[in-house]
Amino acid sequence: MAVDRTSRGGRDVAPLNDWQARLEETALTPVRQTGRRFWAVVAILLAIIGWGVYAYSVQLRDGLVVTGMRDRISWGLYIATFVFFIGISHAGTLISAILRVSHARWRRSALRMAEFVTVVALICGASFVIIDLGRPDRLLNVFIYGRWQSPIIWDVLAITTYLTASITYLFVPMIPDLGLFRDRLAGRSSRWRGWLYRTLAIGWNGNPAQWRSLASAIGVLMILIIPIAVSVHTVVSFIFAMTLRVPWDSALFGAFFVAGAIFSGIAILIIVMAILRRAYHLEEYATEKHFVYLGYLMAAFAAIMIYANISELLVHGYKLQEGVEFHFRQLFLAEFAPLFWFYLLGGLCAPIVIALVPATRNVRGIVAAAILVTLAMWIERYFIVVTGLRVPLMPYEPASYAPTWVEWSLLAAGLAAFALLIALFTKLFPMIAVWEVAESREAAVTDDGATRPIGEGPRLAEEASR
Amino acid sequence: MTTAVRRSAGTVAVALAVWALFVGIAGPAIASHVEATVTSVGEVSVGETVAIPVALHSRDGTPLAGTVVTFYLHMAFAGVEGDAEIGQAMTDELGVATLAYRPRLAGHHELRLEYVAAGDGEIESTSTIIEVTGGVRLVHSPAGVDVPGVGVELLMAVLATVWSILFWVVLRIVAIARAGGQAGDAGLEARR
Amino acid sequence: MTHADTDGPAEANPGSDDPGSALQPATAGSGFGRRRFLRVLGLGALSIVPLPVVSELIREGGVADVQAEPAHGQGAPARTRDGRVRQWTMIVDLRACDGCQSIGQPPRCTAACIEGHFAPEPMEWMQVFEADLPGGGTQFIPTPCQQCQNPPCVNVCPVGATFSTPEGTVLIDQERCIGCRICMAACPYDRRFFNWGNAPVPPEALLADYSPEHQVPAKKGTVMKCDFCPDMARTGTLPYCIQGCPQRAIYYGDLEEDIATNGREVVSASRLLSENGAYRLKEDLGTEPRVHYIPGHGEAAGRDAFSPGREPTVWPWIERAEGAVTWRR
Repeated sequence: MAVDRTSRGGRDVAPLNDWQARLEETALTPVRQTGRRFWAVVAILLAIIGWGVYAYSVQLRDGLVVTGMRDRISWGLYIATFVFFIGISHAGTLISAILRVSHARWRRSALRMAEFVTVVALICGASFVIIDLGRPDRLLNVFIYGRWQSPIIWDVLAITTYLTASITYLFVPMIPDLGLFRDRLAGRSSRWRGWLYRTLAIGWNGNPAQWRSLASAIGVLMILIIPIAVSVHTVVSFIFAMTLRVPWDSALFGAFFVAGAIFSGIAILIIVMAILRRAYHLEEYATEKHFVYLGYLMAAFAAIMIYANISELLVHGYKLQEGVEFHFRQLFLAEFAPLFWFYLLGGLCAPIVIALVPATRNVRGIVAAAILVTLAMWIERYFIVVTGLRVPLMPYEPASYAPTWVEWSLLAAGLAAFALLIALFTKLFPMIAVWEVAESREAAVTDDGATRPIGEGPRLAEEASR
Repeated sequence: MTTAVRRSAGTVAVALAVWALFVGIAGPAIASHVEATVTSVGEVSVGETVAIPVALHSRDGTPLAGTVVTFYLHMAFAGVEGDAEIGQAMTDELGVATLAYRPRLAGHHELRLEYVAAGDGEIESTSTIIEVTGGVRLVHSPAGVDVPGVGVELLMAVLATVWSILFWVVLRIVAIARAGGQAGDAGLEARR
Repeated sequence: MTHADTDGPAEANPGSDDPGSALQPATAGSGFGRRRFLRVLGLGALSIVPLPVVSELIREGGVADVQAEPAHGQGAPARTRDGRVRQWTMIVDLRACDGCQSIGQPPRCTAACIEGHFAPEPMEWMQVFEADLPGGGTQFIPTPCQQCQNPPCVNVCPVGATFSTPEGTVLIDQERCIGCRICMAACPYDRRFFNWGNAPVPPEALLADYSPEHQVPAKKGTVMKCDFCPDMARTGTLPYCIQGCPQRAIYYGDLEEDIATNGREVVSASRLLSENGAYRLKEDLGTEPRVHYIPGHGEAAGRDAFSPGREPTVWPWIERAEGAVTWRR
């Protein structure tokens, strides 16, 4: 049964229209006006990126000897950061897959930002692999001489597929909003912007045929992107699991990495949403409810990660085969103990506590938990890479690894590029899925005849008792 | 009478000495009459295992059991030459020792057999010729496990499926663009 | 018309969580029939196929790890007198290896290899490790690249820069290597070395003809390792390490002809292995290495198991190179 857009059949449309107007204004404002603060942020980020470019030029000139990596520990911060970014890119999958399956209506506010994050994270992640190469000038060899049997080629295939699917999945649902932008900003913004929206809106005017095509495209993509995303971080884990290094030789790696990816994806999404909410006054659309629910999800995944860690560590630790004892000492007791225990307590236990304790179950608390999780997950990728390579293979003294200024600079530049791309995105494209949020809202109105604030899911006990 | 005894004792002693001398000198000659008979094996190809029996018996025909026979082959490799041991066998109660020999190079080979003759511990040797032909590769690397259906083709099939679905989505986008000619309610705009 | 986030025909379901989905099937009314869809699927499969697939289809096969013809600029495979391809092997008699303690020098096998290949510091393609013995004391284990028959490094290389040869050895094509170092993570014997910087190069090295069988001069950003000196072995010359050992502890051989020599005597390789309790390193990993070890601790050279220590390796040719940049391992 089609819901007639042009008439409400007697229902009160006034609140809807006010609300609608506010929504559209909120979506258009960042694109219309740009304050000094924004340019200041952009300038800082560009400066950091510029310093990173200089650091990379030093690395190109002198070789990877300017990093802390050596023969024994031949991967380090770059590969850890690559895995971290690819992990973050699962933010989009999370919103699409998990929240869709649970029919959570509140997901639509986060959908656009999640897909932004996915695309940008994939781009940043892929660049860190290239930065790590000893001969980046021979990158095309990967395509000319690629071997199917190599985990790195699986990586290339999975990431290009996921990037394509994500860009498509970002673009397609944005078409109606681009149409809105094209119509509302016509003549009131610069020529190139007008051209941009006109081109990208591809002649959208909301006729039934277009809605049909849109719906089927979104439907297919939403389902397709789940196995693609799962495969991406699985093959990233296979880069480690297909080797004979003791800490990496685990059948659990694929699932472990995917769970960790979704976990860090949620955290990054929370942080990005909090920043954008603050900067662009999106409080009405990204409410505390959203953050609390995301916090619950994050806590649930923290529990999954705890389970995966127990499984991994107990199964190996019980037997203590060769190399495992050394690994356990370096992880639990010696060189990497501070990092590991921070990851375990601050990254896995703290989010659960924060989500459970009512006093911290608010936007600030959840964002703090998300920051802890993001930091802890980068640290986890770091010590997975370094401790894995540090277990001695032959009778020699274990080596040590410490990143140099070049590596830290490039890490900072990567994060700055991530932030910059998202910031630029918000200035060009609608960061709320306007039409989808409106649909949810409409459905809320339709469903119970009374206006409910958007984002309200199943009522919580405390809510009902207030 | 005592002179006669002394004289005969002396003769006996001399006879004994001569005999001892004779035996001492001729001993090896007597003991070296071990006959080793190697059965010719004709033409063998590389990699084929052939039994080389050698029969040891003393001159009077009694077989020499329990004697270890060592086989050597002259080899040359990377500028170093020499006799390399290629096997050992012990003679059985019939005096036959059999070596299971697997030649590894084609050509005309001379095998040298050494054995210690019973009784005086000297090494004796004999030889035999073997003609080896052929040249099929013998050493094969331990292969992987070939599971039918699991391979590159499967990966390609999965990839092709995913990418063609993506392509179909792109066609939907094209359809949206093409349907732009029809009138519509322009989405949310029309609500005003 | 509202959108629905289910694909295909949807039921009209006003009471559902999702806004009432009244979507008509995508295939009806838009002129895009099922047959066209299948056609598109087929065309899509062909047109969207990524580059590696195309190049793979053009190239012959894709699964063979052993190159039929020399594709990387290495020479023709070494053969026996009757035309069979040799299968190189190395047998290290640890009864005779004392880490060169008796001559008071850094291990000569390592030194010979470094000199012969201008191996950049700190690379020890042939490295003498000192391992603890069960009852105390130590043994020396000269460790070249194990030339595995199921090589983890070859399996993971994304561009096929490291490859198995018909002789069963593993080489590296430094012209193709992209320096991703997954092979170094994969090798369980610590036998691969990376050119982190511009390795020092003596003048004579610049005159050398580079090939994967003769990795001179070193190339920045690529991986190197012991190659079993195939260019020398092909012509009947023993590798540097075999030549360099004063105790003649290392044998170089051919499993196809079943022959081996340490430079002084020639033996049947299979006999040497089977009659002396030979073993391989990390057998349980399934790499099937071509390097065998006969257990010992240098007793044939007069070494007592409880006398530890050897001279550290030096790279004496470094003084002849201009602007040497080296790094620690």
